[in-house]
Amino acid sequence: MSNKSSELKLYWNKINYAFPILNDTIFSDCTGTEYDEVQQIITGMGIQVKVRDLILIHIEKYLRQHVAPSFWSKFIKVDEEVKGFQLFKSAVNDLYESVSNFSEMLRRLSILNTSCCDNRPIFGEKDVILGFKQLIRATLLSQLPLDYHVIINHFYKMSFNVFDNEYESSDMSEDVMCSGCWNEYSDCNCAYIVKVFHDTNRKLMDLQLLERLTGQVLTNFIQMRIESHIQKLCDGTFDVSHIGFLENWLETTVMSWLTRIYCAGSSKPPPDDKNTQNAIMQFKKKLSYYLYYSYTKLRIEQLFNIIIEYPDSQPAVDDIKLCLDKTDLRSTLCKRLQSALETRLLHPGVNTTDILTAYVSTIRALRHLDSSGVILETVTKPVRSYLRNREDTVRSVVSSLTEEGAGSELAEELAKFAAEVDGENDKDDIWDEWNPDPVDADPKVNSNDRRANDIISMLVNVYGSKELFVNEYRTLLADRLLAHNVINTEKEIRYLELLKLKFGESQLHFCEVMLKDISDSKRINALIQQDKMFEIASKNFTSNAMILSAQFWPPFKDENLELPEEIKQHFEAYTKSYEALKGNRTLSWKPHLGYVSIKIEIGSKNLDLVVSPFNATLIMHFQNKPEWTLDELHQVMKVPVTVLRRKITYWQSMGLISEKCTDTYVLVDDSDANKSNVATNQVQEMICEDDETESVMASAHDQREGELQVFWSYIVGMLTNLDSLPLDRIHQMLKMFASQAPGTECSLQELRQFLDTKVRTHQLILQGGMYKLPKS
Amino acid sequence: MAQNINPHYASSSNPAKQNEDTIKLKDNHAVSKRLQKELMELMRCADKGISAFPECENLFKWIGTINGPQDTVYAGHKYKLSLEFPNSYPYAPPVVKFLTPCFHPNVDTCGLICLDILKDKWTALYDVRTVLLSIQSLLAEPNTQSPLNQQASYLWSNQPAYKKYLEEFYNKNKDS
Repeated sequence: MSNKSSELKLYWNKINYAFPILNDTIFSDCTGTEYDEVQQIITGMGIQVKVRDLILIHIEKYLRQHVAPSFWSKFIKVDEEVKGFQLFKSAVNDLYESVSNFSEMLRRLSILNTSCCDNRPIFGEKDVILGFKQLIRATLLSQLPLDYHVIINHFYKMSFNVFDNEYESSDMSEDVMCSGCWNEYSDCNCAYIVKVFHDTNRKLMDLQLLERLTGQVLTNFIQMRIESHIQKLCDGTFDVSHIGFLENWLETTVMSWLTRIYCAGSSKPPPDDKNTQNAIMQFKKKLSYYLYYSYTKLRIEQLFNIIIEYPDSQPAVDDIKLCLDKTDLRSTLCKRLQSALETRLLHPGVNTTDILTAYVSTIRALRHLDSSGVILETVTKPVRSYLRNREDTVRSVVSSLTEEGAGSELAEELAKFAAEVDGENDKDDIWDEWNPDPVDADPKVNSNDRRANDIISMLVNVYGSKELFVNEYRTLLADRLLAHNVINTEKEIRYLELLKLKFGESQLHFCEVMLKDISDSKRINALIQQDKMFEIASKNFTSNAMILSAQFWPPFKDENLELPEEIKQHFEAYTKSYEALKGNRTLSWKPHLGYVSIKIEIGSKNLDLVVSPFNATLIMHFQNKPEWTLDELHQVMKVPVTVLRRKITYWQSMGLISEKCTDTYVLVDDSDANKSNVATNQVQEMICEDDETESVMASAHDQREGELQVFWSYIVGMLTNLDSLPLDRIHQMLKMFASQAPGTECSLQELRQFLDTKVRTHQLILQGGMYKLPKS
Repeated sequence: MAQNINPHYASSSNPAKQNEDTIKLKDNHAVSKRLQKELMELMRCADKGISAFPECENLFKWIGTINGPQDTVYAGHKYKLSLEFPNSYPYAPPVVKFLTPCFHPNVDTCGLICLDILKDKWTALYDVRTVLLSIQSLLAEPNTQSPLNQQASYLWSNQPAYKKYLEEFYNKNKDS
C-alpha cells in the first residue's frame, strides 16, 4: 500500500517537474526525452484529460495573478511623453518575455493534448498555443485599468512625431532641436524610437493584442491629428483648394505610418496576408471619411465668410461641394449657415444694401455648391422673410438695379440676363445631364423653377410678386423723373427695356406711359407758350408744367399748399390754354411739387435761388407784408403750423427772415441782411440744395396701408355686430369672409400693426386683448 | 373610399341617399357663395344705420345691427337681430328675430317679427341688406292693423305717451 503511494508520489513529482505551473512556477529543465517518460506515465495511468485540465486551471490562475497585474502596473498616468513611451515599451517587452517563457511548457502541453482523445476545444481553440493566446488576451482585457490609454497615447504620439518629421519637415534642419523627439540633434533619439516602435508593434501583433489594445487609442489619436492638421492648414484661407493636399497627406504620412504599425516595420503590407490588408483598408476608409468630415465641418463653420468672399473663395466652395457628397452634412450645413446668417446679417445694425449684397453672393455661392437650389432655398428662407420686413428693400434693389458704375452687380446681372435671353439654348440638349432632386427637396416645388431662378428673380421673389416690385420701381422712377429738371430719359428708357425683358411688357406699361408723359410735357409746354391767350397772363414770369397722366402715375403724397393769388391766376390761364388744346382733358395742379427759380432783391442784396414751391410761397408772402405770425401764415397757406415752423428755418438760415418773438417772423431788413449774410454765406451753398430730398410718392408701405383699408369695413362690420373680438378671431374671420377682396394676404403681424394704428387714431379701442369700436 | 371594396356593392349602397347628399352639398356651396357675396356687398356699401356679420365661423348664422330710424321714437336706440339662413336660401326667407327686446306693434315679446316679406311675400331678389332696411322702416311705420303686441298697437296713436313708455321699457330692460 505504502509502496503504491510512494510510487504515485514519484509520478506526481515527475509531472510537476514537467509542468512546473502546478507549483506556480514556470521554469523547468525538463528535456524532450524526460518528458516522453512523463507522457508515458500519464497515458499509462489514463489521466491525460485530468492532468491537462488541471494544468490549464493553473495556467489561468497564474496569468490572472501574476502576468496581467504586472503588465497593467506599468499603465499609470504619467505626464512626460518619454516616460510613457518607456513604460509602454517595457510593459510590452515584459509581457512578451513572460509569454515566451511559457513556450516550452506549452509544447509539452500540446503533446499531452494530442494524447487526450476527447477533442475538447481549449478556450475555444483547437490548438493549445492559440488557446493560450486567447486566454492571455481574455485575462488581460478583463483587468483593463481606467487610464490604460494614457501611455499608449504617449507612445504613439512620439513615434508619429518622428515619422511625421521624417516625411514633412526636412526643411527645418537648421533647428537645433530635432522636431521628431525634441532632443538636440547631437543626441537625437529618432532612430532608437523607430526601432523600439517597430519592435513593440511586432510583439503586440504577435500576441494579437495590437488591435484590441491600441485600436481605439490609435483612432482617437489620428483623428485628433487630422483635426489639428486641418485646422493648421485651412485657417482663414479660402482661395486655395485644400482637399487634394489633405488626401495626399493622409496617404503619405498617416497611412504609411499605420501600415508600418500593422506590418511590423515594412511600408507595404505582405501580399499574402489578407487579414492585415483588410484591416488597413478598413482603417483607411474610416480615416478618410473622418478627414472629409472634419474638413467639411470646419468649412461649414467658416461658410459665412466664404460666402462673403465669393467668388474669390470659389476653391473652398468647390471643396465643400466635393465633400458634401462624401459626408452626411447637408442638414448641418443648412442649419449652421442659417444661424450664421441670422446672427451676423439679420439684425437692425446692418444696412439693407449690405444684406442684399450678402444675399446675392449667398445665391451665387450656393448655386455653385448645389445646382438643384435646395440648400439655397432652405438657407435663405429667413433672409427673405427678413428682407420682406425691411421697408427700403425694394427701393434698394431697384436703385442698385438701375445704378451705374461700381458696386452695382445687379445692374450687370440685368444686362447679362438681357444678353442671355437671345442665346437661350435648347433645354432638350441637356437631358442626359439630368439629376434627381436631393432627398430634402420640397416636393411641392417644381425643380425646374428652383434651378432656373436667376439672381434678380430671387430678389424679386423676396416679395412673392413681381407686382409690388414693379410698383416700387414705378415710384422710384417717378421720384427720379420729378426730381431732375433735365432728365436723361434715354438712360431711363434703356433700363426700362431691360426690365421689360425680365418682367414682361404688360407689367411695365405704366412706366412707359410715365416716360412718354415727360417727353409729351415738353411738347405741350412749347405749344402753350405760343398761345396768345396765355402769353398775356404770363407776362410776369414763365412756367413749365409737367403734365402727368394721373391714371398711370403712382399716387402722390397728399400735401396741401395754398398758392398766392397771382400764381393761381397764372395756373388757371395755363389750364384754360391746355383745355383749349386738348379738348376733353383738364389739369389738376399739384402745387407742392416742382421747382421755382426766384430772384430776391433786398436792398443791395441780390439772390438767385432754386427752391421748392413751398419756400417760394412762403417768401412771397413776406414780399407784401414784412411781419407774419405762424397763425396768419397758416391761414393763407393752409399748411399745418408744425410744418411751417420746420420749413421756415430754411429762410432763417439764409438770413432773410428772423424770429422776432415766439411764432412771429419778420423780414430781415437791409442793414441786418448784410451782417448776417456774411456769416451764413458758406452755409448757403449747402442749404440751397433744399431739404426736400424725401420722396414725394406714397411709399409701398403707404400703398399697402391702402389695401388694408379694404379690411377695415369688414372689421367695422364685425365689431358693430359682435361687440368685441380678440386679434386672432378677427384674423380668422377676415380669412374666412374677406378672402375674395383684392390684394388680401394679411399676416397676423400685419393685422396687429394695422389695428394698432387704428387704436392710435381712436377709431378702435383695445381693452383686455379685445378690440372694439368706440361708442359713437 | 378604400380600393378593395367590391365596386358593385359600393355603388349599390343606397344610391338615393348619396344623390341627395351631393345635391345638398352642392346647394350648400351655392348658398355659401351667395351669402359671401352679400357680405362683401354689405361691407362695400356700408349703409348708415344697418350692419350685419356672420356670428362665428358659420356663414349661415349672422348677427345684424340696426339703428332706430331718425325722427321717430326709436331714434338713438340700437337693435341687435339674429338672422338664420335655411339651406334653401335665397328661395326661402331667413329667420329673423330681435335679440334686443323691442317694444313695437309688430314684434312680440320673444322678438319674433311680423313682416310680410319675411313670410309669404319673400322673393329671391331680397337680400340681407333689403331685409334689414325693411325692418328699419318697419320701426318707423308699424302696421297697426295686424299687431303682435296689442299694447303697443294701442299706444301708437299717442306718440308722446308711446315715447315715454318706450323710455321706461328700455330703462327697465337695462336694469334686468
